[in-house]
Amino acid sequence: MRLIGVDVGGTFTDIVFADTDAGQNLIHKVPTTQDDPARGVIAGIVELCARHGIAREAIDHVLHGTTIGTNAVLEHNGAVTGMITTEGYRDIVHIGRHQRPQHYSIRQEVPWQNRALAKRRHRLTVAERIVPPRGTELVPLDEAAVRVAARMLRDAGVEAVAVCFLFSYLNPAHEMRAAELVREEWPECFVSTSSGVSPQFREFERFTTALLNAFVGPRLKAYVERLDGGLGEAGLSADLHVMCSNGGVATAATVAKSPVLTLLSGPAAGVLGGAWSGALSDRRNLITFDVGGTSADIGIAIDRRFAEATARDTWIGGFPVLAPMIDIHTIGAGGGSIAYVDEGGAFRVGPRSAGADPGPAAYGKGGREPTVTDANLILGRLDPANFLGGVMALDAEAARRAVGQLADRLGLSPEAAAEGILTIVNANMANAISSRTVQKGLDPRDFVLVAFGGAGPLHGAEVARALGIPEIVVPAYPGITSAVGLLTTNLQYDAVRTEFQIGAEIDLDRLNSDYAAMQADLARQLAADGVPPDDAAFERAGDLRYVGQGYELRVPVPPRDLDAAGLAAVCERFESLHRTEYGHVFADSAIEIVNIRVTAVGRMPKIAAPRLAEGGSPASALIKTAPCAFRVGDRLKAVATPFYRREALPLDVPIAGPAIVLQTDATTVVPPGVTLRADRGGNLILRLET
Amino acid sequence: MPETIDSITASVIQGTLENIAVEMGYKLMRMSYSSIIRESEDFGAALVDAEGRGLAESAQSTPLQSGPIPGYVRGILKTLAARGDTMRPGDVIMHNDAYGGASHGPDVGFAVPVFHDERLVAFAATTAHHLDIGALSPGSCGIVDAIDAFAEGLQFKAIKVYDRGVRNDAVWQLLRDNIRVSDLVVGDMEAQIAAARIGAERLAAVIAQHGYPRFQAACAAVMDYAERLMRQAIAAVPDGEYRAETRIDGFADSSDPTKRHLPIVATVRVKGDEIEVDLTGTAPQVPDRPINMPLEGTVDVAVWLTIRSVLLDTVLRGHIPVNHGLLRPIRITAPLGSLANPVFPAPTIARFCTGNAVADTVMKALAQAVPGQVSAGIGNLKVIAFSGVRPGENGGGHWVHMEIFEGSYGGRNGIDGMDAVDTLYANTRNNPIEDIETHLPLRVTRYELREEASGAGEWRGGLGSVREFEYLADGGASVEADGHEFAPWPLAGGSPGHPAELHFVRKHGSAEPLPSKVPHMRVRAGERFVCVGPAGGGYGNPLRRDPALVRDDVADGIISAAAARDQYGVALLASGEIDAAETARLRDRMPEARV
Repeated sequence: MRLIGVDVGGTFTDIVFADTDAGQNLIHKVPTTQDDPARGVIAGIVELCARHGIAREAIDHVLHGTTIGTNAVLEHNGAVTGMITTEGYRDIVHIGRHQRPQHYSIRQEVPWQNRALAKRRHRLTVAERIVPPRGTELVPLDEAAVRVAARMLRDAGVEAVAVCFLFSYLNPAHEMRAAELVREEWPECFVSTSSGVSPQFREFERFTTALLNAFVGPRLKAYVERLDGGLGEAGLSADLHVMCSNGGVATAATVAKSPVLTLLSGPAAGVLGGAWSGALSDRRNLITFDVGGTSADIGIAIDRRFAEATARDTWIGGFPVLAPMIDIHTIGAGGGSIAYVDEGGAFRVGPRSAGADPGPAAYGKGGREPTVTDANLILGRLDPANFLGGVMALDAEAARRAVGQLADRLGLSPEAAAEGILTIVNANMANAISSRTVQKGLDPRDFVLVAFGGAGPLHGAEVARALGIPEIVVPAYPGITSAVGLLTTNLQYDAVRTEFQIGAEIDLDRLNSDYAAMQADLARQLAADGVPPDDAAFERAGDLRYVGQGYELRVPVPPRDLDAAGLAAVCERFESLHRTEYGHVFADSAIEIVNIRVTAVGRMPKIAAPRLAEGGSPASALIKTAPCAFRVGDRLKAVATPFYRREALPLDVPIAGPAIVLQTDATTVVPPGVTLRADRGGNLILRLET
Repeated sequence: MPETIDSITASVIQGTLENIAVEMGYKLMRMSYSSIIRESEDFGAALVDAEGRGLAESAQSTPLQSGPIPGYVRGILKTLAARGDTMRPGDVIMHNDAYGGASHGPDVGFAVPVFHDERLVAFAATTAHHLDIGALSPGSCGIVDAIDAFAEGLQFKAIKVYDRGVRNDAVWQLLRDNIRVSDLVVGDMEAQIAAARIGAERLAAVIAQHGYPRFQAACAAVMDYAERLMRQAIAAVPDGEYRAETRIDGFADSSDPTKRHLPIVATVRVKGDEIEVDLTGTAPQVPDRPINMPLEGTVDVAVWLTIRSVLLDTVLRGHIPVNHGLLRPIRITAPLGSLANPVFPAPTIARFCTGNAVADTVMKALAQAVPGQVSAGIGNLKVIAFSGVRPGENGGGHWVHMEIFEGSYGGRNGIDGMDAVDTLYANTRNNPIEDIETHLPLRVTRYELREEASGAGEWRGGLGSVREFEYLADGGASVEADGHEFAPWPLAGGSPGHPAELHFVRKHGSAEPLPSKVPHMRVRAGERFVCVGPAGGGYGNPLRRDPALVRDDVADGIISAAAARDQYGVALLASGEIDAAETARLRDRMPEARV
């Protein structure tokens, strides 16, 4: 199989080609074409093929990560969106949960009020009402009113419509009929329904998700169709798949219909790429640590699997999104994070970032504020002549000036201030990891830290030390892990249904038939995508809680009809998860099944491990020896430190720190007390002395 | 230790303390049973030092819950000392004494002491609003006819529910026997204890890691830092004395004039980098009705919240650690025997809306000093305790549901008021309709913005909401609210907002208005409450409002074309677009235009 992964970033579009039979992996980078990223994607693929003599028509799959939808939400420039909702409930999406985003702020904005996805004039109501517990019809749908509303919205210049009715997760009939009527009146309209997007209870969150889908729909649909068409014109007959927030990919057609699935996909490919690298070195429990210029993304994979974020924790641009997303935690800490002394005299680093432009002072593009990158440079950990493979020379004097000003305010030497910057940013990163592990009953010492992104390998060892993590894995191409990650995914579709069944009264027949129906739906979708039955797999899960609680825990459910014993086992599993997560169980309380879920996976071909050259020695990999500042005992001091070229490092030869490893897309810092080894999985393995 | 090393370590330790507080809050919210905690987020979590000074609070919790926690701890320490008892490892202490630091009876605190080398060094504590605390009628809101502290339910004064690690079963028996829906309440209490214990464990590890002297130094530095920020913010406020008065409904239907239309007065004295807030002039306490506010636990939190939100607005100033240092430059006084400083056993259980009125009054006073940083008057809130007995269960299976109804903000400098949100010291969440109707014999028959009632201004006041609850089975209700009698105040030439309303609609359609406080009443299936939320005051002269914004409000059905003309001097064409010539003519003729 011949695969191409394309990840569009803010500055560069990264392309990875993998021939899974020949074990050949190639990398290419082109500038991102901001006005229409599809142009850069196609041009980059064409260039890569031309350069390496690859026949374009022989490529089987193109896998693509895009932030078109995400950016439309963050920049608030999606479609003019209308809404048709239940009479009496016009403002559910405006009132929200009646909570202010900030406790302590008079002058804050409320995103869903100040940046409404659908203005009130475009939110129309029709008579209809479904009621619980079984989704019976209390008020029939006023079909004539739906037609009138559709025409009014069309005439008002609306471009996309969300149909959002209460309790549609129990009975979608009214929403489906209303969507049908809208299409009859207005065939070219982009219509989404709340039950179609996410049939789960909590009306504000579900309605908002449907609105987001409509808001980004026309634009993302046009983009995907343009890209698909453009690939065809460029002579590629490959299937196009697009990365989704759930860590899988979907076909272009599915994404064009449900663009909301991509909204939180930005960091997903990166963590998958990190996990793949960890797997190459046979590491199973991983903390992926992807540090760029502005932010750090943290993911936790247990037995190589990422957890899914709980539906109540997934947000974009201040709006809740009920779409499955792998649990990635992002904090504002990266190479461009700015260090400053605030008005109260506290020494802070980030979340404000110098970004790529002007970037750190050392970039010499006009940045004057000291950043994490400047601190690394002052301590000798970055080589000014070998940054990003020498593409960009770093200005050590500018970095020293910027950090020096801060140091003067603090009464410190520039080196001590630089070390302070790193200590604080590393502590922020360690706290973020701790919030995803220790707080959830996981011991970070049982994990390996996979450090990547341009800045991850600079900080990995210090962050790991703060958490007691014994080992760090640095992938082969730390700077393009997202494009690699695209080639490690599967087709993945999720179905969810709100069930609300309680303890002793659980109707097993209903539960089993609901699971079976959801699985059958997904099986049809995989078949339609051309997945052979042998490559399809299904997993079941449930969201359970003690009756009365408001938060659920995800519990795996066996992939077959449940009997009483099977159900009891599921409940036991819930209790044990509850104990792990919260440190407590309520032994006498009944358990409620809130949602049931089925995940369908269609296996895709994947990138293979890189082939590595044998031979070489530390001496032949040595570029130079230069002083780097490290803390040894209680003192910060300059230590003579060898700099190695990564590609030339011998396999399986331990090298004691301090050492710095240079490669085109990243720099790895190996502090004193840490041992470095290039392993046969293509990774660098750093071990901390215990 | 050199100061500079200290600033780095302090930064690291502060981040860790906040992380712990967040973890406590996260776990409590996710484990708890009753919607008042898990959906409304009416809970708090905080770390406190051995002297009862706040070190860090959970970011998710509501200010009125986390803010008082240090006071709970000080109350516990004082009560134990008076009893000749001490804190020991393994203890868990329950406390809700409104005259001993607690916010009011239903907000029960659980504190777990942290020891280092056998010495008491800190506390991890949680608070939460419990559904029922054994008062005279079901629920813990709307107990507006409690005549004294004893009628409000159980009083816990530093009760050790675990003594050196051993569970005090008798206390738990007492709780189960005296509280309705005790399964939920006891479950929530257990969740509180579990969360506090985790916090204590984490805090002990941090202290062990850094050593106690270093930890103490870091805490002192972080408190000094917060204090400096607050002092700098106060110093930027012009020195002077700023007095404001508002009125609360009290018991508007009472024949007793000392129970209705009561003044709340705040005098804010700014001198250099310190503020004194003096509540002299506020009405005397109501000795036999529970709208009195504990000075420590309610009034202080209301004052801090407002000063903090106005002077150190998070959106403008970024994250600021919440700890004892923020409070040092602020002094609060209130005459003993007033609503703001009652004398035991004056009841306090229904102090929620009175306290929010104090917060609003302090903002009104600050408006004179820093008009660009405040909003015009806010709309106060409403809580209804819905209850009943489920059929088919022996001996009364109670259900209780408490819903907090949103208010709204006044207009602000450069931005309209927030619509239909919780205000000032409360920041809870509503319950999803799809959750309520699935689990309770209630139906929410309407939830929308209130149209054609807004405080006009260059920056319009926020809109109220209209929310209706219908009973599907016989039950009862009680109501605790304020803001029916007085409209939220305008600022800088705006118009006042609109008061809240409450209507009770019988099965056959006859509606009767209800006052803002209603003791427990019976409700039959098919009857419903219509809750009309208040609209905030307007900010600035309405004639200066951008006509395009007025046009948009008409298009959105928020104001009528007539109101656009009468209140804003904006004329619209039949197309809905602005009639510029007519608008100019109207605005020129309106007397306010010359202001």
